[in-house]
Amino acid sequence: MPKVKVPRRSTTVDMTAMCDVAFLLLTFFILTTKFRAKEVVQIDIPSSTAQIPIPDRDILMFQLAPDGKVFFGLDDQPTRLKLLDRLSSEYKLSLSESQKDAFRLLEIWGMDINDLPAFLDLPAEKRAIAPQAGLKIDTTGGGHQVEDLILFSRQENNNLRIAIKGDKSTEYRSFAVLITALQNRKVNRFNLITSARTAKE
Amino acid sequence: MADMNTSEPGGKGHGKKKRRAKKASTRVDLTAMVDLGFLLITFFILATTFSKPKTMEVNKPAKEDDKKVEEPPIKMSKTVNFMMGSGDKLYWYVSPDAIDENTTIEMDSIDYSPNGLRRIIKKRQSEVAAQWGNQDDLFVMIKPLPASNLKNTVDMLDEMTINNVKRYAILEPTDPIDSLVAVRVGQKVK
Repeated sequence: MPKVKVPRRSTTVDMTAMCDVAFLLLTFFILTTKFRAKEVVQIDIPSSTAQIPIPDRDILMFQLAPDGKVFFGLDDQPTRLKLLDRLSSEYKLSLSESQKDAFRLLEIWGMDINDLPAFLDLPAEKRAIAPQAGLKIDTTGGGHQVEDLILFSRQENNNLRIAIKGDKSTEYRSFAVLITALQNRKVNRFNLITSARTAKE
Repeated sequence: MADMNTSEPGGKGHGKKKRRAKKASTRVDLTAMVDLGFLLITFFILATTFSKPKTMEVNKPAKEDDKKVEEPPIKMSKTVNFMMGSGDKLYWYVSPDAIDENTTIEMDSIDYSPNGLRRIIKKRQSEVAAQWGNQDDLFVMIKPLPASNLKNTVDMLDEMTINNVKRYAILEPTDPIDSLVAVRVGQKVK
């Protein structure tokens, strides 16, 4: 019996369509990605049934660590620079261009404002791991650093919304100090950041 | 393979004898490009923050010195007080409208579960509805003690939304009764 010859067929597949899909998806992800912000401290946020999503822009974020340290973050780089200008004239800091640039890229920080120049002088990789003492928060008198930060940021960007991201176990005592500082600057409305959950019945 | 050039070399079937220079194929192997595409996709998928956190709006009453008109004091029988203490403990009481030497205040310790906090809110809502005709008249005073944690505050505010409490406020525990309750249960007001 003669063998039936099966014609050999090429195993190559047309990749054009796949390539199209891949790059379409890639474009989608590039455009929608918002990179996870660097975290100075690990914060485990409480959950609530609140459904309001956090706005994308114009956020002034205070982070409350479990040990009560307060950190400060502005999402917008131009506002960060304007804030730094105000701070350096108010607190008599003399900053070089490289220090300013370091501050522009600083997503979240917390320390005595007078310690900022030394911190900004650190090389980038050391800055990321350097321990931070938390904002100097003292609402009873003397320094008004947190109040100044709130005031200057809001003066530079009128649309700022104030968000507070606190750990579940942060004591109310440190939250209260922050609220006092906010209220001293006539901020009576702010947002608490929580994760979503459904109401237990 | 990707086909970029569909013309057949040679022009068969048209009866032309003209010889053409052999065209180099313009087909490109796209496999590597696809690989790269998916690699980048993977990176962006992993770097994306998907579930965006939600926010909860908090409105604090303006400070006393901002107040232009003194509001009439609220009837205590329309209120309920919750004091949040350390260790996830919660104390509730209702202040009497008037205090004399025979006044007694009942205070109870509950938790944040639906069976604790929510039951009390529902109970007060129906009591206020019975006495004043509208359960929305209930005014919840939330008084966090310094040693309570942020989760307690969020749970408390959340419960206000869940139970549709229209009027509530986070207040300092400055009332003399608050101090009494705190001392009684061994918590610190300051």
